[in-house]
Amino acid sequence: MKVLVAVKRVVDYNVKVRAKADGSDVDLNNVKMSINPFCEIAVEEAVRLKEAGTATEVIAVSIGDKACQEQIRTALALGADRGIQVETEGSVEPLVVAKLLKGVVEKEQPQLVILGKQSIDGDNNQTGQMLGALTNMPQGTFASEIAVDGDKLSVTREVDGGLQTLSLNMPAIVTSDLRLNEPRYASLPNIMKAKKKPLDVYSPADLGVEVTTHLTQVSVEPPAERQAGIKVESVDELVDKLKNEAKVI
Amino acid sequence: MDFTFSEDQYLFRDSVGEFLRNEVTPERIRAGWESPTGRDDALWQALTELGVTGLTVPESHGGLGMSAVDFVLLAQECGYVALPEPLVNTALVAVPVLQAVGGELAATWLPKVADGSARVVCGLANNQLAEDAHVADLLLWCEGDALFALHPGQFTARANASVDPSRRLYAIAIEPGVEPVLTGAAANAVGGLAMRRGALGAAAQCLGLAQRMIDMSVAYTSDRQQFGKPIGSFQAVKHHMANVAVRLEYAKPAVARAAYSLFTDDPGAQRHVAHAKLAACDAANLAAKHSIQVHGAMGYTWEVDLHIFMKKAWALAGTWGDSGFHKACVMDYLMYDDARLGATGTFS
Repeated sequence: MKVLVAVKRVVDYNVKVRAKADGSDVDLNNVKMSINPFCEIAVEEAVRLKEAGTATEVIAVSIGDKACQEQIRTALALGADRGIQVETEGSVEPLVVAKLLKGVVEKEQPQLVILGKQSIDGDNNQTGQMLGALTNMPQGTFASEIAVDGDKLSVTREVDGGLQTLSLNMPAIVTSDLRLNEPRYASLPNIMKAKKKPLDVYSPADLGVEVTTHLTQVSVEPPAERQAGIKVESVDELVDKLKNEAKVI
Repeated sequence: MDFTFSEDQYLFRDSVGEFLRNEVTPERIRAGWESPTGRDDALWQALTELGVTGLTVPESHGGLGMSAVDFVLLAQECGYVALPEPLVNTALVAVPVLQAVGGELAATWLPKVADGSARVVCGLANNQLAEDAHVADLLLWCEGDALFALHPGQFTARANASVDPSRRLYAIAIEPGVEPVLTGAAANAVGGLAMRRGALGAAAQCLGLAQRMIDMSVAYTSDRQQFGKPIGSFQAVKHHMANVAVRLEYAKPAVARAAYSLFTDDPGAQRHVAHAKLAACDAANLAAKHSIQVHGAMGYTWEVDLHIFMKKAWALAGTWGDSGFHKACVMDYLMYDDARLGATGTFS
């Protein structure tokens, strides 16, 4: 079974991001970039499937400029067998990403595609679902557990009411939630080996996709600073403020 | 000449640093103080799986065959988290000593270091006490003109207190009848190698400790408000930390050069290491002093994590040669008639 895993280059989750002075975007100058945490979980799950003998090959794919090869190498160090970069410039919106991934899926014909449920930069939570629609493959989103049984895939999903288990026919698409697994650290020998693993680079044209823009980012602003609290003199005053100022009761 | 570290070296530093920062928390260090051995087998196993213990072990013995230059950035990361485990001693001192001794001793123990099945540490009688002798499967002990390779049972270890609760120090008494593996000039040469490498490891850890104390102090003074502003915005506070940052930046190249000199067997390696140890310990000492000040009275308390790092810095300053020892080494060179001083002699 071939598993395709999508990985995205994002600002490291430890970094406190700032908006650019002109409000046009998040300031990425001298900011540490990493693999999106949900994508890291997706890679870990694919590698575990391979270690369990269920998967035969794990392919890590990323879309972006040359810098995203760093995140592909991270995935290779974590245990993926080979990498694919689809080279694009600037930011690419989820629908285009999904179309590009569809092109890779058609080339590679994986039985399972695992993506992070969302990236921590845009928080769109769209690509996996769009890819499912474009490829007409069944999807199990927000997965906290998956199990392969022949050509069937059992996906336990985290939903509002608790856990929901789906049975999907493969090939299928899964998006990983936080509790799917705890990713390993890449060992130093594996980091060395990752440098020698194959990494193919495609252009969007190679995949028959035209990179278009449907969305315009109007502005980026930091969230409003939290105001200092006040001390009230009595319960009556507290109730009055909750009722008339906060309007929560 | 390119003095910068390579992309791979930074990649290793970042990978190991991420692991250490996530796993070696102040809470875990404090828990270690309460345990009988003070050492964390699960953490050592995880470091082994990461491949760090085998980084300097030759490839022929199952390691990655890397050098002091490759390891020095990792040692800084060990300092940043005040790692209690004897990783720096093992990788930077014990492994080269085993290699220098060679033969069956190296063939037996180097693969065990690489696969994590044994802990090997090295100590000098000049240091008075040996660290981590209680958990060592093999203690390489340099005493007088002899080098001993001691297994548990071949020595007695009497515990001594340390200013740093993470350190476990022991006075070593060798059982009668135990023969050294090297004697005379050969043992002295290995003892010198251990001293230089131990001092380099201490210096590199001090860089990390200084950085950690700066980061903690900057975070605290950015958060603590007085007169409606963060106290870090006041010159009296921020200049303290700026001075530490400057001292630290000047110490970093000295440590990198010392690592390179050891790697290339530079004839000036001894004084380069002495310079590195003096500069790095000085930076860490200043960081400790000013960090206590900018934290206010609470900086000196047990509850605030700052003391974990400053006590380690104080302890490292006195081991593998104190400042007097290393200053004497630098002075010997300065007073030498043919000393090449000034800018023209820097890279000669």
